[in-house]
Amino acid sequence: MEKQTSGLAQALGYLFLLVGAVASILPFAWMLISATHTTADVFASPPPILPGDQLWANLVRLQETTNFAQVCLNSAIIAVLYTVFSAAVSAMCGYALAKYRFRGRGLVLTFILITMMIPMQVLLVPLFQIMASLGWIDTFQAVILPFLANAFGIFLMRQAFESFPDTLIEAARIDGSGDIGIFFRVVLPVARPQLAALVIYTFMSQWNAFIWPLLMLNTEANYTIPVALNTMVGLSRVDYSGLMLGSLLTTLPMLLIFVIFQKQFVAGLLGGAVKE
Amino acid sequence: MRLRTLITGVLASALALTGCAMGGAPAPKAAPTLEPSTGPVTGEITVWTWDVAATALKRLATDYEKAHQGTTIKVVDVGYDNAYDKISVGLQAGTGLPDLLTLETDRLPGFLENFPNGFVDLTSRVEPEKANLDPSKLAAATGKDGKILAMPWDSGTMALYLRSDYLSDAGIDPATLTTWDAFAQAAEQVKAKLGKTAFDTDLSTGAMFLQLLQQRGTGIFDANGKVVLDNDKAVAVLTFLQNLQQKGLINNTKGWDARVSAAKAGKSAFSPNAVWWTGTLTSEAKELKGKWRVQPLPTFAEGEAKTSNNGGSNLAVPAQAKNPALAADFAAFALLNSDNQNSMMAKEGLFPSYLPALASPVYSEPDPYFGGQPAMRVFADLTSTIPAISYTGDYAKASEIVANATVEAILNGKDAKATLQDAAATIAKQTNREIG
Repeated sequence: MEKQTSGLAQALGYLFLLVGAVASILPFAWMLISATHTTADVFASPPPILPGDQLWANLVRLQETTNFAQVCLNSAIIAVLYTVFSAAVSAMCGYALAKYRFRGRGLVLTFILITMMIPMQVLLVPLFQIMASLGWIDTFQAVILPFLANAFGIFLMRQAFESFPDTLIEAARIDGSGDIGIFFRVVLPVARPQLAALVIYTFMSQWNAFIWPLLMLNTEANYTIPVALNTMVGLSRVDYSGLMLGSLLTTLPMLLIFVIFQKQFVAGLLGGAVKE
Repeated sequence: MRLRTLITGVLASALALTGCAMGGAPAPKAAPTLEPSTGPVTGEITVWTWDVAATALKRLATDYEKAHQGTTIKVVDVGYDNAYDKISVGLQAGTGLPDLLTLETDRLPGFLENFPNGFVDLTSRVEPEKANLDPSKLAAATGKDGKILAMPWDSGTMALYLRSDYLSDAGIDPATLTTWDAFAQAAEQVKAKLGKTAFDTDLSTGAMFLQLLQQRGTGIFDANGKVVLDNDKAVAVLTFLQNLQQKGLINNTKGWDARVSAAKAGKSAFSPNAVWWTGTLTSEAKELKGKWRVQPLPTFAEGEAKTSNNGGSNLAVPAQAKNPALAADFAAFALLNSDNQNSMMAKEGLFPSYLPALASPVYSEPDPYFGGQPAMRVFADLTSTIPAISYTGDYAKASEIVANATVEAILNGKDAKATLQDAAATIAKQTNREIG
C-alpha cells in the first residue's frame, strides 16, 4: 500500500465499515434489549437502549406459552437428521455425477437443476396430499423426507468432486479399494471444506424452515421453533419480548456454528470458483 | 401478508393448471348438512385456533369433557396469520384439516365463496338463535344460498375512545361529539390548543374508510354482488378523511407497533376503534389508567348507526371433519351460551357476538381504567346495531384496491368522487362484476 493515499482513504474506508458494522449489529442489539424488557417497555418512547432485568421472567413465560425446551429439541432432532441424510445424499449423488461415466449423465444433472426452478408453492398441495395419504401428517418424517434430495447440495458437491484428480481414484482402485472405500476414504476427506459448507447450509435451511413444518405439524408438542414462535404473534397483542427472546435463543446455535466453521464455509463456497 | 397473497395466487393458478391431471380425484360433493341431533354426541375432535382464543377454548374444552362423558376435545394453537396457509392448503387438498376451524370475519366470506362445498351447513343449529346474534356477523357467516356455514364468535364493535384529560384541557364537552362534523371541529380545537392530532391510524391500510362506510350501512358490494363504491355516502366519508389529513389532524402510524407506541406517547386525543383495543390499552399502556373514556361513534347523518365493526372471528366445521356432530355441539356450547361467552369476555377479553350474553350486569360494572366509567356497557349496547354489509368472496381483493385508492386520495388530495369511481371500475374489472 502506498503511504501518501492511505491516510484519508483509510479513514473513509474505516468509517464505511463502521457504518456497516453498526447497521448489522443493531438488529441483534435490539433483539437483546427487547428480550430483557417487558413488552410494554419495548413500546415506550423513547425506547430503552440498555438491556433490562426481565430476562428470567420472559424466559419463564416463553417456556409456559410455547413449551420452548420441547420445541428446541424437536428442531434439533429434525435439523440434525435432515442434515446427516441430506448431506449423504448430496455427496453421493454429486460424486456419481462428477466421476462416473454413464449414459444420460448430463440429462440427469440438467433435470436436477431444473427442479431448483420449481417454486415451493406449486409443490405444497400435491406434497400435502401425498403425506396425507401416507398417514404421515404431524410426523417428523413428513418434514424431513420430501426435501432430502436437495438440488443445490448435489450441485455444490458435484462441483467439488469435479476437480478431484481421476488418477488418485485409479491409484486407489489399483491398490484394491472398492467404490465405497474410494468414496469414503479417498475422495470425501479431500472435500471436507465443501462438505462443511454443505452441512452448515443444510442445517441452517432446515433450522429456519417455516412453511413446510407449519403445514405438516399439527400439535404443539411437535412444533419446530419457527412454527412455535409464530404462534406468539397474536391478533391484537404480540408478545414481543417473548418473541425476541425466542429469536435470540434460536440465533445463538447458528451464530456459534458459523463462528466455529467460518473458515470452511468461505473456503467451501469459493471452491470451484477458480480452477487450477 | 404479501407472501400469503403470493402463495394463494400460485396455489390457485397451479390448481387451474393441474385441473385435468387431478381428474382422478373424486368430484367435489355438495356441502354436507348437519343432521339435527338425536342423542348424546361422543368421540374425539381437534380444533384449530390461536392466541387468546386458544386459551379460551382449551379452558372450555375441559368443562365440556366433564359435562359430556365419552368426549375428547383437542385444541391446538396453530398460530394466527399463517394458520390461513394451513387452512387453504387443507381445503385445496381436501384432506388434513381438523373438525373445527377458527376463521376471522373479514376472511370467512372469501373461504365460503372459494370453497362452496368445503364447510358443513350449520343452519339447523344456528337458525333458532338467529335473533340472538350480532347481525353483521350473521351476514358474514351466511353463504350465497342462505345457508349458515359458521358460528359467530366475537365482535369487533367500534366506539369512540377519547382522552378526557385532553378534552377538558381544550375545553370540549364530549357530549357534543355526536356528528363527525362536530368531531372535526373539536379535533381542530385540540390541535390548536394542545398540538395533539385527532387519531393515530395506518393510512396504508385504508384509514378506517371501510369501517366508516359500514357504519353508514354500505360497503364495497351490494346484496347482489354489484360494486357500489361510487355513491354519496362513500364520497362524504372520503372527503371527511381528506379534510382531517389536510388540517394535519391524522397521525399516520406505520403498522401495529407504531400505533401502540403512539397511543402510549399520547399523540392523539381520540381513537375510533374496536372493543379489543381496550385489551391493548390495559395491557400495554397501564400508565394511562383513568385518562381514557368511551362513547358511541359520531355519525355522518341522522339515524345512522353509532358503531361499526372491525375484526372478530367465527368457528366453522370443514366438510372433511371426521366428527361434525361433536364439532358443532362443542362450538354451540362455547359460542351460543351466555355463561361461556361471558367467561371468555372476563378471562380472555373476547367480546361476545351472542347478544343475550351482553345483557349480563358485568358489562355495567365501573371500569377503573376508564375512570370508573362502565365502558363495556357502551360496546354491549352498540353490538346489536352494527350494520350488516355484503362481503362476497372478493372482499379481500377489493378492500386492498380500496385501501390503495383511498390512501392516495387522502395523501395527495385527489378528488374523492373520481377516486371512488376509478376504484369501483378497477374492482369491477378485476373481479368480473358489474357496477351497481
